Amino acid sequence: MTSPLKVRITYCAECGYEPQTLDLTNGLMREFGHRLSSIEIIPWAEGTFDVRVGDELVHSMSRDGGFPDPRTVSAAVRRHLAP
Amino acid sequence: MIDGMGTITEQRFRQGMTFQQWKDSMTRNRDRVEEQERRIKLTPQQLAPFRRRPLHVLAIGADWCPDVYGNLPVLARLAAEAPELDLRVFDRDQNADLMDQYLKGGKFRSIPVMAFFDAGWREIGVFIERPESVTALRAQKRREIFAAHPEFGSPDAPVDQLPEDVRARLMDELGKMRESTMDFANGEVVRELAAIVQKP
Repeated sequence: MTSPLKVRITYCAECGYEPQTLDLTNGLMREFGHRLSSIEIIPWAEGTFDVRVGDELVHSMSRDGGFPDPRTVSAAVRRHLAP
Repeated sequence: MIDGMGTITEQRFRQGMTFQQWKDSMTRNRDRVEEQERRIKLTPQQLAPFRRRPLHVLAIGADWCPDVYGNLPVLARLAAEAPELDLRVFDRDQNADLMDQYLKGGKFRSIPVMAFFDAGWREIGVFIERPESVTALRAQKRREIFAAHPEFGSPDAPVDQLPEDVRARLMDELGKMRESTMDFANGEVVRELAAIVQKP
């Protein structure tokens, strides 16, 4: 049995980032289903768009700029799920 | 604020909404816009630069953006008091042809945009997003909040690692900080817009 893997998406609720948040969430739900223990969406502010897979901060808008490539997030999930 | 390079025809300008029409089109934050309208008090000295000549003002915004529902009402109050200002508002995402003329730093679709044109449709100057002085003050106040509350951790750390109750208190503190700097911010917007309209 693999360990539970959680994805957290922190997005700026003042910046209109809902579409990007929902698109990413939708993609993860469709690709990984119940292999993820949960997908947590955290409404924040300050221009944030961060994605954490397990303990790994896979993308940070302030660190990396812009929105993540969904393929990068999926690759991180597959890496964490691999035994 | 930066100098813009935009062009617009009168016909395109007239396709924009009046401020009232823009408010009527809002799906959120109208209460915040109207609270700002009530809050802003303009002195005769602040108004004087805006009453010197007729100007067309093209504003681009979106109802979800804090800088729009914070700063666009400042311009609207000026236009209400100074009939020389002919204001039209455009939604950012439905008017890419206009938005892409005013990218911040040549890259970002930052809003609000407030572009001023003289009677001959020559662009005088552009205000984008918020004054640098406001960004700087809020950054300083933010650092002070984190210094006063060690439980908030580092100001540079992602907030998702904070416990939910701590995160909620941080959001509360940031909201209070924003509120406490609002009058300063409004004054700075008026000052920057006045500097634009006083250009030859």
